Amino acid sequence: MRVTRRGFTALGAAAIGGATAIGGTVLGGRPARSTEVKLTFYYPIAVGGPITKIVDGYAKRYSELNPGVVIEPVYTGSYQDTMTKTLTALKGGNPPHLAVLLAVDTFTLYDEDAIVPFDELVSSEADRAWMRSFYPAFLENGAIDGKTWGIPFQRSTPVLYWNKQAFVEAGLDPERPPATWDEQVEFAKKLTKRDAAGNVTQYGIQIPSSGFPYWLFHGLVIQNGGHLMNEAGNEVYFDTPEVIEALQYQVDLARKHGVMAPGIIEWGTTPKDFFERRTAMMWTTTGNLTNVRNNAPFPFGVAMLPARKRRGAPTGGGNLFIFKRANEAERKAALGFVRWLTSPEMAADWCIATGYVATSPAAWETEAMRKYVAEFPPATVARDQLQYAKAELSTHENQRVTKVFNDGLQAALTLAKTPAQAMKDAQAEATRILAPYR
Amino acid sequence: MERSIQAIYGWLLALPACLLLAAFTHWPALASFLDSFWSTPKGRRPSQFVGLDHYRRMLVDDPIFLQVIWNNLLYALITVPTSILLALAMALLVNERIRARGLVRLAYFTPTVLPMVAAANIWLFFYTPGYGLLNQILTAFGLPDTNFLGSRDTALWSVMVVTIWKEAGFFMIFYLAALQAIPPVLEEAARLEGASHFVYLRRVALPLLMPTTLFVLVNALIGAFRVVDHVVAMTQGGPDNASALLLFYIYETAFRFWDTGYAAALTVVLLLVLGSISVAQVRFLDRRIHYR
Amino acid sequence: MPEVRIERLAKRFGTTVAVDEVSFTVENGSLAVLLGPSGCGKSTTLRLVAGLETASGGRILVDGRDVTGLPPPARGLAMVFQSYALFPHLDVARNITFGLEVRRVPKAERAARLREAAALLGLEGLLHRKPSELSGGQQQRVALARAIVAQARLCLMDEPLSNLDAKLRQEMRKEIRELQRRLGMTMLYVTHDQVEAMTMADRIVLLKDGRVEQVGTPAELYAKPATLFAAAFLGTPPMSLLALEDGPEGAVVAGSDVCVLPGRPGRGRVLGLRPESVRLAREGGHRAVIESVEFLGADSHLACRIGRERLLVRASGHLDLSTGAEIGLAWPESAVHLFDAGSGRRLEVV
Repeated sequence: MRVTRRGFTALGAAAIGGATAIGGTVLGGRPARSTEVKLTFYYPIAVGGPITKIVDGYAKRYSELNPGVVIEPVYTGSYQDTMTKTLTALKGGNPPHLAVLLAVDTFTLYDEDAIVPFDELVSSEADRAWMRSFYPAFLENGAIDGKTWGIPFQRSTPVLYWNKQAFVEAGLDPERPPATWDEQVEFAKKLTKRDAAGNVTQYGIQIPSSGFPYWLFHGLVIQNGGHLMNEAGNEVYFDTPEVIEALQYQVDLARKHGVMAPGIIEWGTTPKDFFERRTAMMWTTTGNLTNVRNNAPFPFGVAMLPARKRRGAPTGGGNLFIFKRANEAERKAALGFVRWLTSPEMAADWCIATGYVATSPAAWETEAMRKYVAEFPPATVARDQLQYAKAELSTHENQRVTKVFNDGLQAALTLAKTPAQAMKDAQAEATRILAPYR
Repeated sequence: MERSIQAIYGWLLALPACLLLAAFTHWPALASFLDSFWSTPKGRRPSQFVGLDHYRRMLVDDPIFLQVIWNNLLYALITVPTSILLALAMALLVNERIRARGLVRLAYFTPTVLPMVAAANIWLFFYTPGYGLLNQILTAFGLPDTNFLGSRDTALWSVMVVTIWKEAGFFMIFYLAALQAIPPVLEEAARLEGASHFVYLRRVALPLLMPTTLFVLVNALIGAFRVVDHVVAMTQGGPDNASALLLFYIYETAFRFWDTGYAAALTVVLLLVLGSISVAQVRFLDRRIHYR
Repeated sequence: MPEVRIERLAKRFGTTVAVDEVSFTVENGSLAVLLGPSGCGKSTTLRLVAGLETASGGRILVDGRDVTGLPPPARGLAMVFQSYALFPHLDVARNITFGLEVRRVPKAERAARLREAAALLGLEGLLHRKPSELSGGQQQRVALARAIVAQARLCLMDEPLSNLDAKLRQEMRKEIRELQRRLGMTMLYVTHDQVEAMTMADRIVLLKDGRVEQVGTPAELYAKPATLFAAAFLGTPPMSLLALEDGPEGAVVAGSDVCVLPGRPGRGRVLGLRPESVRLAREGGHRAVIESVEFLGADSHLACRIGRERLLVRASGHLDLSTGAEIGLAWPESAVHLFDAGSGRRLEVV
């Protein structure tokens, strides 16, 4: 039966991710004769810009600095695609040596016994100091059993963008963004414009809810003093009053206050809505900073998300993982590459090139980063918010639990269920899914 | 001796097709069936025999499965007849001597040539709240902006429209070919007997198109349970599974949740659905239709 | 039963003239054949009468009523198509009664008329078969039955026998003719087969290039072809046509000194002789050379040469003649047809 299962999985893989499985086989071949170490490196692209060129450049530079180590970067599509391809290659027996994957997929990789904790890879005190050099909020999602399984690489966090011109037109101070939930509603009401027929031409605020609504919503939960899951990733708190209240707030923005479009708000078109003045404020990732900077036809501001009981935001984005199948030499080489890639200079370079948040305080102290911040002060908002940030929703069976939660959120936002009912159902379903892990 | 060499020849000739079919159709189907009785293997949790647990879960524990089946039935029930009727109407229209017939035919056929994902992306733009073509038209008439894909009431219907838009042109080609295979003299004979164009269509052309209709019907039905691209591209099954279809759910279960055991059980259900459509075709409809 | 009058009927497709001012009359209860080679416009003429094509000019009168602009069903006619146009999904009975159903004839009457038509054409045993289960001849009968059951005043037939084999065709010719007489139908019948036309028609309308070449009874057309085309088209084997030249004593066959019309001019004229009116002269006669001999049983066909021209002689029985032999040929004055080579028109032998 064991053979049967493997056979089926490989075939399924051939059907869906065919090209990758083959690619993985070819590229994953281990050299036997030379002392040269070749490392396959899967990475996704989730933001704009010439990412492939940058990553290829990094790989080449590292090989030049470290003769005997060759990094072979393989672009593997979106995060979702990269995860699919990685697991397919894993089940086919040929996983990459390292990969950039969503921080929230750590539990899945752990359950598949696919990755090694960095604690087992490091040897020197310098190595251990390096592991402690990152913002703690970024390390949270990579931790299981007190060990660190993923190193933060391309990380982000949501922030609030506001249209200063619209603020002036609404009689608001263009330099003062809303700092609390109540202010957010109050400002949004003033910013909402209607035409003669009563149809809204400009909404006050937009919190996108398509695709992965849990992420931005998690911000509301943290601000309301709640949290979505435990550290062990086998318990969720979807039906707690803090969560239900937060959901009620998001529903009310559209349904009670009429300051946000009703129904599901598209993640992808939200920045465009902002540029076209269909919304005066928006919540979205720091990853859109460069996009907004280049395209907003009006002066805009970037602020931390407003507070209720406290300030708060989830982290997001991808970590670096090293796979278990790699041999001793390969693991060592992979660790070297990860260390180099996350060094302050490289982290600063990556931040400036892509808009992701630089992952360590030291990176912000580099020459390049100081210059960047001086030119573009909003870049620091995300960094300053990190002190309030928490790990984003991540559990065992993460994709499935997240889906259940997303479905619940969407059910409430589309008025199919009350927030309390939606969260109660989601809690029951998630608890059922997580039962085997307790 | 001669005979056995002949037989070997025969088997050798059939071998490539046999191998391909076995490797990519029969074996996966059989393996799915076997896998459906085992739990999903994980790196830290080996597979266990669970019997009919997966099937029980579908019926008792999985409201999403029931919703997906319902969605798919509704989807088939609406898109299949609508696209067939539309295809027939379009075929009848472009079979007439109308002005710019070639252009109209091309226009009707274009959606078919597009890959489903491309078509879905075009419609994604049409449906976009605020800027989308449909909403621009709605707001031009003073109607409120509608979030077609973001609302539970409209998401599945919006997906259906794309299917119908795309399939109708494809089916039209079959109808057009069948219509052109009907000798024009039959309509002349009918006209001389006093039949109007409508009566001719109802009593002569439509019965003669029945084999085509059957073919199209079976294809459309199978397609309704097999098409998934536009769901992936447009709604990801959302909001809250309002537009999720069976195959999409299988894909999600297998390659997002990595629950291959349950996905295998769902696949068996899909195979049963497709199998019964084919059997129904052979058993029931085939006999009642005139083939020339 | 109506009289059909066609007046200066014309049909143009773009710049092509398919039917060019055709006029003729079909008398009440008679059978008229539109005859001509393919592309002569006979089928188009028929379709114009049926209303399946719109006339570009002229009039069609049925019993004095102008039907030129009327749709087909309003013209009160039935039609049998070359391909029979049976509905493949309906059985024989429903094929026959299709028009009656469409016209909402009561069920009882429908059944009665079906019985009658089926009996008339011997289809009683086949009523529940599909057309694909019938032979060509049976399909033909079904098509006829469908035309008859309508009890139309006028029946049009478009080469109804061309898909049948020779033997069956002969039988059906007789049968259709009998049916037409028995039911007193007025029938307009299109064919390219002159034998069919000769054996069936009350009147033949001979068409060429969309124009009427000659209208008349089969006997008239045979005895007095109005043109070279009519002369050559009718008769098996056809009339021999010999070009004439001027000779010292009168018209001679081109390329010879054989004088066939003493004292009369020959240039620009064509002599026509039916093979059966030429006989072998025991002595004298016009000198000719035998080119080939074909023995057909009851009679023999001799292909003979005079000068540059050839003529065919039909003689009875077996003849002991060999190729290359010189013989004398004779024919009565009354058998001579004379045509103008330029216009093709018949000339009176004066």
